[in-house]
Order: sequence, then structure tokens, then C-alpha cells
Amino acid sequence: MSLTNFLIKITRFTAQKAKIYSFLLFIGLFLSLLPFSLLPVFSQQPVQIKTLMRADEAQQWQPLVNKFNQKYPHINLEVIEAPSDSNQVEDLYTASFLLGNSPYDLVYMDIVWTPKFAAAGWLLDLSDRLSEQEKDKFLTGDIQGGMYQGKLYRIPFRSDAGMLYYRQDLLAQAGYQPPETFDKLIQISQDLQQQGLAEWGYVWQGKQYEGLAAMFVEILEGHGAFWVDAETLEVGLDKPEAIKAVEFLRTTIEQKIAPPGVTTYAEDETRRLFQNGKAVFLRNWPYVYSSALNSPIAGKYSIKPMVHAVGQDSGATQGGWGLGISKSTKHPDAAWQVIEFFSSENSQREYILATGYVPSRTSLFNDPEIVAKYNYYPKLLSVVQNSALRPPIAQYAQASDILQRYLSAALTDRMSPEAAMKAAAEETRRLLRSK
Amino acid sequence: MSNDSLDGREKLIGWLLLIPALLVLALVFIYPIARAFWLSLFTENLGTQLQPEFSGLTNYLRMLGDGRFWQSMGNTAIFTIISVVLELILGLGIALVLNQSFRGRGVVRTIAIIPWALPTAVMGLAWAWIFNDQYGVVNDILQRLGVIDIGINWLGSPALAMTALIIADVWKTTPFISIILLAGLQSIPQDLYEAHAMDGANPWQSFSQITLPLLMPQILIALLFRFAQAFGVFDLVQVMTGGGPAGATETVSIYIYSTVMRYLDFGYGAALVVVTFLLLIAAVAITSLFLKRLRVS
Repeated sequence: MSLTNFLIKITRFTAQKAKIYSFLLFIGLFLSLLPFSLLPVFSQQPVQIKTLMRADEAQQWQPLVNKFNQKYPHINLEVIEAPSDSNQVEDLYTASFLLGNSPYDLVYMDIVWTPKFAAAGWLLDLSDRLSEQEKDKFLTGDIQGGMYQGKLYRIPFRSDAGMLYYRQDLLAQAGYQPPETFDKLIQISQDLQQQGLAEWGYVWQGKQYEGLAAMFVEILEGHGAFWVDAETLEVGLDKPEAIKAVEFLRTTIEQKIAPPGVTTYAEDETRRLFQNGKAVFLRNWPYVYSSALNSPIAGKYSIKPMVHAVGQDSGATQGGWGLGISKSTKHPDAAWQVIEFFSSENSQREYILATGYVPSRTSLFNDPEIVAKYNYYPKLLSVVQNSALRPPIAQYAQASDILQRYLSAALTDRMSPEAAMKAAAEETRRLLRSK
Repeated sequence: MSNDSLDGREKLIGWLLLIPALLVLALVFIYPIARAFWLSLFTENLGTQLQPEFSGLTNYLRMLGDGRFWQSMGNTAIFTIISVVLELILGLGIALVLNQSFRGRGVVRTIAIIPWALPTAVMGLAWAWIFNDQYGVVNDILQRLGVIDIGINWLGSPALAMTALIIADVWKTTPFISIILLAGLQSIPQDLYEAHAMDGANPWQSFSQITLPLLMPQILIALLFRFAQAFGVFDLVQVMTGGGPAGATETVSIYIYSTVMRYLDFGYGAALVVVTFLLLIAAVAITSLFLKRLRVS
């Protein structure tokens, strides 16, 4: 009785005085229920796979991403653009993993991040997903660089390696063969500089940054020295051969073979000097080859593996990018499908043809289509196969900073090579001992 | 008796009313500091798979032998002291000018604070180009004046890179000090100067005997603010030099960032934070004590 009365009252109230309110209430209810009615539709949507990379490379990925999404309608691959600075991309990945629940299923990483990310437990072990047979099709250095403590965490997508560029025309003019040893390189440089054929002999990256450590690995390797043995954690920076390596770099500055500003140069400053015809020799990455094709020295230069000391072999610092799967992903299998697609021969061929990067599969260096466009790729293979890794240790970033600081001090004459390398070695030992 | 209990009740209410503020303080100040201190007693890095392991004072012992930490501390101290002193002198000068009445004073006052309103990262990039050895404005001017023949590699040598950083920082934050000092100047009654002048004081005497003593509270505030800010400088250095060359401009905050974000060494990073925090508190305490003494005398 009272209830019915109450209901009638309410009805009258709404009907008479609050029509608008009830209408709004209805709309609100409708809107709040809408997502539930759409839910079944959403659940049939493809699984989302996200990855993050530098904006410039994300653009280059787009054609392959479109192709992938068409071929695999049940997966939706999304590439998120990050700032065009690798360090910042690394920071973004790091922050997302530290905060937990990383939004990225795939990690597109530089070779030197792999040990750290693996040691932190952020990556899935991919060892069982790649058969031995498949593994052998990639460059050894690229696979090695994706390993940490015997397990594989990164599948290489594109490779990179340091090498020696030289001016064929100038060497022929002065009657020289391309040098094989450090001494020969110095001798040829001095001779050509005296003849006035070039302003500078040999330019390299001497600024305090990661490129300095990468360049130095080749000089170390060529002297039969080493930085850190990843197996035994032995540090070799204060051995006589390593000090000789520093002395070689200092000699190039003291003998005015390299310009005084070389201690502030990164890759691009050195590339410009070489491209403008001001230097005979240049240490750099493969990208210079294609960029110098449209320069005053077009057709006058060639590449070869880095020089070495008598009785030693040359080494090319291994670089490159590859894909790993984040441990927090909910779709590891879909993520693996992306990796398979991108690291496949066909995708790599398409990508290399469009961008001029270096493939990670051995077969592509002699691929007819690629050689037709880039005739120097077979020569590139001989360089890339001599690869030397930067130490694959978890604390690599820190070890690299230590080396960079002391090497920079030795190169700018603030410390003697012995004192600098001794200090660097001791600090590195302390780092590796401390847990 | 009843008076007493009433008093007690009022006190109780007073404390109750204070609780929200105290809670906020605890949450935003005490908790993070205590947490950092607690974390600094553990080893938590890649060597321990990012799991904390109690290690007592190991991190602090490691710091004693860490040349990079002391170098960055020295760099930070040099940067802070020189830039804050320069800013104070220039800021006071600008404040005195802006305090005079002249046509267009409002416009000039607005223009004067523009550097301070710019985002540091943007202005850092601009300064990096100004000091660029090939294309920089500074080298261009010096070359045109015939002071130098070849461009100076400003950011490539330790002392010059620090100089460039200090110049950029002084340019950016002097307006902040002058605005605070200007507010102080306006609170000094004009009659004091008139009376002092009638007693035969010259402008210098009225500046040193009226302006400076009465401005002391504002100077102290500006100093403390700037001191703490300059000590934690990060963005300007990161953008202009990245801490180089050979670590000559690396500040403590950049080192801490590297330790935590790049090396993932959380325990040691926390120890760095704790020691830096304590040193900063000590420096601020000593400075303010010194200035208070100065004021009393």
C-alpha cells in the first residue's frame, strides 16, 4: 500500500517535473551500457603487438608493417615512434620495464643493450624457438651478440660493422697497395700528406661517447689485445698490447695524421672530412659507402677490413639491431610471428633494397637483386665476418663509460696511455668484482 | 583545573587540525628520503638480478673510492658557486635599475624575465649552437673582432665547456634573482632614504647602510633557492655537453641518472642520493648561518 503510493508519487514526479532529468538518466544509462554491448565485437579483434623504435627507422619499417598486418589479419603490429636518439629509446624501454607492465611486446634493440636487458630479466629466452639450422643462416657475430650466458635473447634484423675506407685514386697515384698494418697506414698517410695529395691521413671517432669505445675495440683487436673477457671476466686494458693500441691513436694526432679536433668528432664529422676529399683513410660504419656515392669522391674510394699489427688479425666492431620478446607480453607467439616475418630473407631483402642497411643473413650479401643495386656488398661480407664484439656483460654501459673517460683523457693528453689504461682497468675490475 | 583541561582540548584540536598537513609532509618528504636511505643499505643491481640484498654500508665505502663521484661533486660545486655569485651581483644591479622610475619601465620589467620563462632544454640547445666551434655566434663575433684566428672548440675542452655552461645558466636565471630582489626593494620606504640624505649620506652610504641590510632577507631567500636549484642542475648540462669532455662537466645529478637509469644500480644510486642530500643540507645550513651572522653585525 505505502509502496504503491510511493511509486505512484515517484512516477508522477518524474512525469511531471523531471522529464528532462529522466531523459538524461536514460541517455547516461545507454552510454554506460554501450561498451558492454560492443565487447564481443572487440574480443574478435586482432591481438595487439607493440614495439618502439626511433622515429626515422619507424618510417622505414612502415611498408613491411603494412605487409605484415595484411598477411596476418589476426595480429595487429603497431610501431610506436620514439625520439631519434638511441639513448632515449633505451631509456624509454628501461623506464617501461622498471615500472612493470611494459606496453611493449617486442623490444627492438641495439646489440649492446641485449646483455643488460637479459640480465635484468626483461626478455624471453628464444633459444628453443630458433633451430640450429636457421641460426647458421645468420652472421655469427649477430647471433653471438644476441646471446647472454649461453641463451639467445635477440634475433638479428640488420647488421653493422666498422671498417676502413680508403681513397683508391690517391693510393694508385702514389703507387701504394691498400695497407694491411698500422705502421703501413701511418707511412702511407705521411707520404701522401707530404706530397700534398690530401690534407689529413686518417680520421676516426675520438669524442667521448659510445662510438669511441666501438672504434677502440677494432684497434685493440688489431693489436691482439682485449677489453673484457666475458667468460672469465678478465680485464685486459692495462696489458702492453692494449697500451700500444692507445699509443697508435695518439701517434696519429701527434704526427698530424689526424686533425687536432679528432678528439671531438663523432661519426658524421669524420664522414664529412672524408667525403669532401680531405682525408685518405676513414674508420666508419657501412652507411658512409652509400652516402659518399653522391659526393666529390664518388667512385674514388673503397672499403677493406681494419688494419692490424704484424702477426695479428683485424676485427670489425659488431653493431646492429634485432628483436627480442618482452617477458611481460601476453602474446609471445604472435610476437614470435612478427620476428619470423621480419628476419626472413624476403623481408630483409625488401628492407635492405629500400634503405641500404646491412643484412644479418649471410646469403643476402651475394643476392643478385641486392648486388645489382649495391655492388660492394660481397666485399662488405668479408668485413662483417671478422666481427669483434663489445664485451657482452650485464654492466656493459658502465664499463664503456669507464673506458671512454680514461681513453678520452689519454687522447687529449691529460694522462699518459699507461696511467689511463691502468686506471681504467682497475676501475673495470672493481666494477666486475662488486656485485 | 577546568582551565587546564580546556587548554589541553585546544591543544588536541590544534594537533588534529595539523594532521593533514603533517601527513602530506610525511608522504612527499619524509617517505622518499627514508626510502632512499633504506635502499642505500642494500645491493640491488644487475649482479643481483635486481633483487635487493642487504649489504650494510658497502655502498658508502664504495663511494669513498669513487673518483667519478668526487669529480662530479667538484664540478657541481664550481658550477653552483660561480653561477650563483654572478647571478646575485648581476641580479642586484638589474633590480636596482628596474626599481627606478623611467618611461617604459613595465615593458622593460616584462622583457627582463623572458630568459627565465624559457624551457631550459630549448635554451640549452640554442646555447650549444651559440658555442659551436664551426657555426657558433660566439666564435663568429670573436673572429670578426680579430681576437682569434681559428674557432675555439668551446664545448671540447674542460674549462671552456664549464665556462659556457655557467654563462648559459647566468643568462637564464639572473632574472629570477632580480625579480625577488625587486620585490624587496619596493618594500623599503622611501622616507628612510630622504632622512638619510638629509643627514648628509652619499648614495653609496645609503646603499650600503639602508638598501643592503633591509634587502638581506630577500637576498637570503634568492640565494637558497638558486643554490638548491643549481646544485641539482641536469637539463642544461645534459643538452649542452652531456657531461663531457672526459667527464669535466658531469654534475652529481647526471651521475645519479646514469647510475640508476643506465647502469640499473639502484642501491648505489640511492647512496649517492643520500650523500648528495646531506651535503646539500650542510652547505645550505652553513651558508645561511654565515649570512645571519653577517646581518647581525
